[in-house]
This record gives sequence, C-alpha cells and structure tokens, in this order.
Amino acid sequence: MTTAINGLSLGGIYAMIALGYTMVYGIAKMLNFAHGDVIMIGGYMIYVTMATGNPLLAIAVAVLSCVILGVTIEKVAYKPLRGASPLAVLITAIGISYLLQSLAQIIFGSAAKMVTVYELGSIQFLGATVQLSALVTLGVTVVVMAALTLFVKFTRVGRAMIAVSEDRGAAQLMGINVNGIITLTFAIGSALAALAGLFYLLKAPNVSSTMGAMPGIKAFTAAVIGGIGSIPGAMLGGILLGIVESVSYKFAAIAPYTDAIEFSILIIILLVRPNGFLGKKRREKV
Amino acid sequence: MKLGKIKVKHYVNYAAIGALTLVMGIMTLAGNKFDNSTLFLMEKMSISIILAVSLSLVVGFLGELSLGHAGFMCVGAYLSGKVASLLEPTMGNGPLTLLIALLVGAGAAAACGIVIGIPALRLRGDYLAIVTLAFGEIVKSLFQNSSDETFGGSLGLSTPRYDKNYLFLYGFILVLITLFVVQNLMRSKHGRAITAIRDNEIAARATGTNVTKYKLLAFTLSAAFAGIAGVLYSYSNYTVQSMKFGYNYSIEILVMVVLGGMGNINGAIISAALITYLNTQLPTILTGDLAVLQNLLYAIILIVIVIYNNAPALKGFRDKYNFKALTRKLRKKEVDPAHVKDDEAKWDVVPTKIDMDEILSVDMTPQDPNITWKRGGDK
Amino acid sequence: MKLTKLTAIVMALVLCLGLFAGCSSGDAGYTADNTEFVIGVSGPLTGGAAMYGQAVKNSAQMAVDEINAAGGLNGIKFKLVAMDDMHDATKISTNYSSLLEGGMQVSLGTVTTAPGLEFKNLSADDNVFFLTPSASGDDIPTNPNGYQMCFADGNQGKVAAQFVNENLAGQTIGVFYKADEAYSKGIYDQFKANLDDSITVVETSFTDANATDFATQIDTLKDCGFIFMPTYYTPASIFMTQAKDIIAADAVYYGCDGFDGIDSIEGFDITSIPQAVTMLSHFNSKATDGKAKEFIDKYVAAYGKDTLNQFGASAYDCVYAIYGAMKKAIDEGKDIPVTISASDLCDILKEQFEGGYTFTNGVTGDSISWDKSGYVNKSAIQYVIKEAN
Repeated sequence: MTTAINGLSLGGIYAMIALGYTMVYGIAKMLNFAHGDVIMIGGYMIYVTMATGNPLLAIAVAVLSCVILGVTIEKVAYKPLRGASPLAVLITAIGISYLLQSLAQIIFGSAAKMVTVYELGSIQFLGATVQLSALVTLGVTVVVMAALTLFVKFTRVGRAMIAVSEDRGAAQLMGINVNGIITLTFAIGSALAALAGLFYLLKAPNVSSTMGAMPGIKAFTAAVIGGIGSIPGAMLGGILLGIVESVSYKFAAIAPYTDAIEFSILIIILLVRPNGFLGKKRREKV
Repeated sequence: MKLGKIKVKHYVNYAAIGALTLVMGIMTLAGNKFDNSTLFLMEKMSISIILAVSLSLVVGFLGELSLGHAGFMCVGAYLSGKVASLLEPTMGNGPLTLLIALLVGAGAAAACGIVIGIPALRLRGDYLAIVTLAFGEIVKSLFQNSSDETFGGSLGLSTPRYDKNYLFLYGFILVLITLFVVQNLMRSKHGRAITAIRDNEIAARATGTNVTKYKLLAFTLSAAFAGIAGVLYSYSNYTVQSMKFGYNYSIEILVMVVLGGMGNINGAIISAALITYLNTQLPTILTGDLAVLQNLLYAIILIVIVIYNNAPALKGFRDKYNFKALTRKLRKKEVDPAHVKDDEAKWDVVPTKIDMDEILSVDMTPQDPNITWKRGGDK
Repeated sequence: MKLTKLTAIVMALVLCLGLFAGCSSGDAGYTADNTEFVIGVSGPLTGGAAMYGQAVKNSAQMAVDEINAAGGLNGIKFKLVAMDDMHDATKISTNYSSLLEGGMQVSLGTVTTAPGLEFKNLSADDNVFFLTPSASGDDIPTNPNGYQMCFADGNQGKVAAQFVNENLAGQTIGVFYKADEAYSKGIYDQFKANLDDSITVVETSFTDANATDFATQIDTLKDCGFIFMPTYYTPASIFMTQAKDIIAADAVYYGCDGFDGIDSIEGFDITSIPQAVTMLSHFNSKATDGKAKEFIDKYVAAYGKDTLNQFGASAYDCVYAIYGAMKKAIDEGKDIPVTISASDLCDILKEQFEGGYTFTNGVTGDSISWDKSGYVNKSAIQYVIKEAN
C-alpha cells in the first residue's frame, strides 16, 4: 500500500515533467533535452527567493523565471533552427542543457543546497503512512492534466496548437501565428517544469546543478511509454514508471537494477506498441 | 585529381595517418621514448577517431540518431578486458592476446548491435534515439551492479594495460582498418543503398533496396567498431569503469560527428582529434577555480557552431563566407563531369560514383525548366 | 570533399601535434627547472563531487602557505598544483602526465577512489610517491608507492560491524547504501562479512546519484531501531528528513566518515530530526577544541564553511605529513635538493613511511602511522552528532 502511494507520488512528478516534454514534442516536433535543467533552475529560483521566507512568492518567482527562461531558450537557440534538420535542433538542446548546468554550478557552487518550502508532514491512511506532499503532487498533476486537456480541446489557442501539431504549413496558411503558438508551448512547458521543481523540493529539500538530468531522461521515457504527444499518455506513462520504480526499490535483490528495468520496459513497449499506449499512429508520407 | 583510375582524395586520410604511424613507429623502434602525455594523447585520439567514424556510419550515412554508442563500447571494453585478464597469466600480454581481445570485443559489440538493430527496423527518428539511449543506460547499469568476481562491480574491472610505448601504434593501425572498411563500404553499391535509405526510406524501399538488411548492416558494423574502440580503451587503462560509458559520453561522440559535418568522414576524424586534444589541454590551462569554465565554454561553442551551420536564415551568409568560397582561388578548378562537353568526355574514365548530394539537391518536379541530368556520358 | 590538399594539411597538422611535443627528456628532466617542491593532486573541482575536490585543494593550499610562511623546508618553498578530474577515471592519464611533466615530485594522489585506481598504477610505473587524503578504496595503497591518510573502506565496515556485534546481538538492523558507489558498497560488503550470524539485516539501496525520493527505502526500514548508513551526507540528510515521522523516534542512524558535515548543511536542521545520529570518523567538523578546532577556524576564515569537511582536514594533514617525513629524512642525513626527481624522492619517502614514521598532532589524529601495505593506523572516533530527542 505504502509502496503504491509512493509510486503514485513519484509518478506524479514524472508525469508533470513528461507533460512538458509531450507538449513541446507534439507541437514544436523537437526533443527538448534541456527540459530537465529548467526544473533545476526552478529549484534554484525557489531556493533564492525562499530567503524572503515567503513560499508563495518563491513559487511565483520560480514559475515566472522558468517561463522567461523557456521562452528565451526557444527564441535564441531553437527558433533560428526551425526548418533545419531535427538532429541539429537536438544537439543544440543538449548544448543548452550543458550550458544551464555549468552556469548553475558557477553561480551556486557545486555543493547541494537545502531549502524547505513547506513542512507538510504525513497522515495515516488505510494503515499506511502517507506523506502529504505525495498527495499534493498527485492532486496538482491530475488537475494540471485535466486543465491542459480542456485548454487544448476547447479554446481557440488550444485548437490552434493542435493545428500546428498536425500540419505547420497548413496552420500558417489558415492565419495561425505558428511562432507565437510554439513560444506559448514552451512557456507552458517551462511553467510545468517549475512546478515539477517545486514538487521535488516538497519531497526532498535539496537543490543541485545536476538534479534535473536523470528525472528529465526518465520523464521522457514516461512520455514515450504513454505515447508522445498525448497529454493523458504522459500522465499514464509517468504514473506507470513511478510505480515500477517504487516496486523495484522495494526488493533488495533487484533494487540496484531499477534503472535497467525501467529502460527495458521502455524498449519492450516500443517493440510491441511503437506509438506508446495512447499515442496516435502516424502514417509516413512520401 | 586522379592518378590513373585512383582518386587521390579517397586516400588522403590513409596517407596522413599511415605516414604518422610509420614515422612514430620507426621512432619508437629506434629506441626513442615519447612523453607519457604524447603517448596517452595518441591512444585517446585513436579511440575517439574510431568511435567518431563508426558513429558517422549510423548518424551521417544511415541517418538514424544513436545515443547509445558508448554502450557498445562498454560491452567491448568489459568483455575484452575480462578475456585479456583471464588470458594474461598463461599467454602474457602480447599482440596475440590483443588480437583475441579485439575479436571478442568486436564480436560481442556486434551481437548487441544486431539486438538493437532489430528494433531499428521498426522504429525511426527520435524513438530510435531513445531506444539506443536506453540500451546504453541498461548496459552501464548491468556492469555497474555485476558481482566483484565477474566484472568488478562498482569499482570497475581491473584489466591488464598494454605497454604504453606500443599501444598507440596498434591504435593507429586499427584506425586505418576502420577507415578502410567504412570508406570502402560507403563507396560501394551497399554504401549508396545506405545513403538512399537516409534520404528517403520509402523511395529506397520502392526501388527494391533491402532496407532491413542495410540498416542492420550499418548498425552492426558501427557497433563492432565501437567495440574495437572499447578494446583499445580497456587496454589503455588499468580499470574499466562503467560510469564512463553513460549517455554523456555518447553525446560527446555525437558532438564529434556533428562538428565534423554529418556524413563527412575526414571531418569526423579532424573534429575527433581536435576535441580529444582540447579535452586533454584545457584542464592544464583552466586549473583550479577556472575549471568550471571548461564546460561552459564547450556548451557555448557547441550551440554557436550548430546554429551557425544549420540555421536556414544564415544560409546566404554561409554560402558567401564559407571555407570553400574563401579558398576557392587557392585551388585548381576541378572538372565537373556534369559539365564536360560530349566530345571532350574521356569515356575510359567516366566516373561511376555519383555524387549523391548533387543528385538529391536537384528539384525533380516536371515543370522545372532547369531540370538537368547530372550524369556524365548518359546523353 | 574536394578540399583534398587542405584536408591533408589540416589532418597532418592535427595528428602531428603530438610530434611537436617531442621526445621525452627523461624521468629526471621534468624536475630540472624546479625552484620549489611541487606537490600534485587530481580531484573533482567541478561536477557533482566538486565539494570534496575543492576542500582538498583549499586545505592543501592552506597547509602549503603555512609551511612556506614559516620558511619552507630549509628555505625551499612548496607549490601545490591541483587538476580537475571531475571524478572521472579517464581524465587521470592526462592529469597525471601533465602533473609529472610539469615537475611534480610528490603527490596527494586523487581525492576520490574511482580515479585513484588508475592513478595508483600510473604512479607505480614511474615510482611517484602519493599519500591520498580521501581515496578510501581498499585497493588504493596496494602498490609500494601509495599511502592513505583516511581509513580504508573495508576497515570502516569492519569497525562498524564490531560495534554492532557487541551492542546489538540478536537484533534486526537496517542498512541503507548506494549500490553502485564504490565507497558505499565497499564499506557495506566488509560490514556484512564481519557481522555475527545472530544479527538480521534488512538492506535497501539506491543508485541514482541525484535521488531525492527515498519513500520506498524508508518504508522497507521502518521497523528497524538501528540503521547503518555507509553513504555520503547528502542522501543521508534527505533520507532523515523524509523519515522523520516514519522511522521510530528512538532509532539510531549510524554512519561512517561520509556523514561528516551533515550537521552544517545549509537549510537542513539536524535538530529537527528526532532520531539519534552517530558517525565513525577521523574528523569532526564541529570540534570545539584541539588541533581540529584550530583547523576549522582557519579554514572557515579563508574559504567559508561551504566546503569544510573531513576531506580537507585529511588533505591538510597529508601535506604536513609529507613535509614532516622529508624533514626527518634530511635530519637523518639524506640530501633532498629542490630538483630531486619524483622517483628519488619516492624512495626516500618510502623508506621513512615503511620505517615507522609517525606523524603527530594532526587534525585527523594525534598519532598517525602507516602499516607495510600503506593503510593508516590511527584511532577511529565515534562521534555522537546528536542524541535522540
């Protein structure tokens, strides 16, 4: 029971990051490798503003600065490459990821920083001890996922996003501001990353310059498992991965192989269902 | 530039590396001892060049993104290291052991290449990148958690180191072998089939190219050479530690290929050598507190170069001020077979190798008035 | 590729860079121009383990500056050269050869174990003496030229197991360790091997270097009253924060020297942890008296308390121990010129260290000596960082 809830809460964080990946991939058609590092910057912004002692202010500043950062990265590094080969974009993203990590190390030093945003404690639930932060994480992720789904389905801007995702050229001809939509996508993705950074801090009050790297890759795995480009898919993939990780850590014999198990699941799923669980099948055109 | 039927440019890289091997080999045999730093640099360069050239086969020519190249290298390094340490007590640490280790390392990595090549047949693009990334992480994790008796576990596997005064020569010879295999493959009909898959898989399939076969071929070959690089790695170190072979290392190899120009083998060689050289030199310049600047520098250079080379908006600027344009005056004008007049064409030396890029850059839409068939002697 | 000639030229240039480096000037040649004794060290100055490398670099520099200010060794000053290896063994061949060719005569080896496994063999080939402050792997000092200032991992595991055998016979204890880290696993393996059969072990591990969620691990250990944690303090502090309400309030966390510094992490209030925290170490960064206190005050004044930890304290002792051994050798009539080659100095130092040289009044021990295989002999101290609330 506790393992299940732990898995769900870890999955919530993965889902939150995966949502950002999936939005950007679905609409801008690029793998934003720097996404994990935006989480890290979010964490550091919370660390810096928590000096004022106001958690709400800290969260606001983190979300805002991540949005600015995300949009800046998009404008400076990715926009000039629109239309270039996907590989070039991917490599730039990797470059940005290194850039953010080394900048953070220069500014904040290499030692991990501790910062406590909220002391949430835990409650007894069905005989298990449940960290409140786990429930908050899970709750917020579900709300965000629902809101995003509704936003994409029922608003003008949201439908414009779908249009850009389906066919960028046609969308442009229909009068949609493609660049604006992509920028907006990055803004949303980065805000989600800031929230993911917050959830990390709720779980463990620890910020370091490499904190975003592994969660970034794992969340991307989650996004692929769920079907990249699909919002509920990111949620599903994230939760699934979180539960697998918790269960695997539970058994001492397989615990060291947890990463290997997670990545093996990814390979198997891609072999059986190349588009993930909820991904759309795309026929390749000549 | 031609010498009879031989195109000189096809052999420049052999000549350069071969000459270097020869000179340094003679100096070594004559009893001269190089500095450690020189020897280690040469070893590292040959490893990097083999890795870059072999990855170039998949990324540059097949057009698939592999983020698990270090994983193949890891397999080669661990298995050959194990074999070498088992053989050392009975057979010593000589060329024969090295040969056996090379076969084992290349074979094991090639086997993994086939295993990963099979999903490669089904997946494309970003998905394949993720599968290879996952493969690399799985391999790393398995070796990392192996028991102390099998592969050394978290402390790494202790392997015999080859005599440092000679290992770099073997490294250079392996570079030459890699170049020989990869370049000959790419200049054969099989190589053209592989580039055809890159440029348009569906069209290649439609024209009867066995896509499955060639993808698997490219993948396996690339993995096998990564395995060879792994063997060299295990022979040039006292321990093989799986931490090294993470995704960061795969990225570093990818960066070498990209900076060298995709699908450009000589470019890959130069950038691999250059990056390796910088990797060893920068830490000696940026010591102490400045060391943090090194990564920042790399990141900025990477971003700037990729944007400069690829941004569509900068195309005009690039065409005007690129390396070729600036050096055009220095070079003799080469005769382009496409513009040779019929009566001037030398029929005995009609090139059969077609410049793929030129053909593919031709707009084939019927109403295009500029349509030209760029194939010498077909008219 | 039509740039035939240019390609050829560039390629030849790049590949021939090495040739310009020219031929070896011979082992003795590297130190011929030295005007100071050069001490070399390679450690992670950047990356995830940078705080350890920085601590070693700063503390060793501090010791060198003090020695120089006091007139050096018979008027000859010392110089420290620190190179960054990012905790990556493959950087060692470059760092080692740059250090050696840059005139290094004696070394502090590496800061961490994994690169140290490479360093110990390279330095053995050239006969270069090293005394590592903190590379605690059991295999590090196995060559005749290598010595450790810190406790070897295996020894820490053994001492911890003895403590458990004596005090907790017949009970169930928990272990929390990092499965893919040499330090953590090295201690744990020896701990397990030396444990009495009467003790039941519940083990749980993690692998991700940036792991921040230990909910599953905590759940596994929730019934244990004694938890052995051979990890560094960052994951331990996260574990403790998350386990506050889950692990029994009277439980004991028992760590090794990796715990040092856990009570000075910014933003982590150890008094808010109800459980007791104890560590087995050679240095306590909260020391209030003696040589350790002196060191802490000087270090904090010069570099702040961010990187104050046992790695630095150990490095400070290393420099003084080498200085002391050189001084003793000179007193015994040995000639140590400033241009002495690394190999010659190594022979002199080996003779001292093997011959029962004892370093007294150090930061990490009052009386420190080394056994034949290079392991350190000094008393391990059990520090109670905090009692249970």
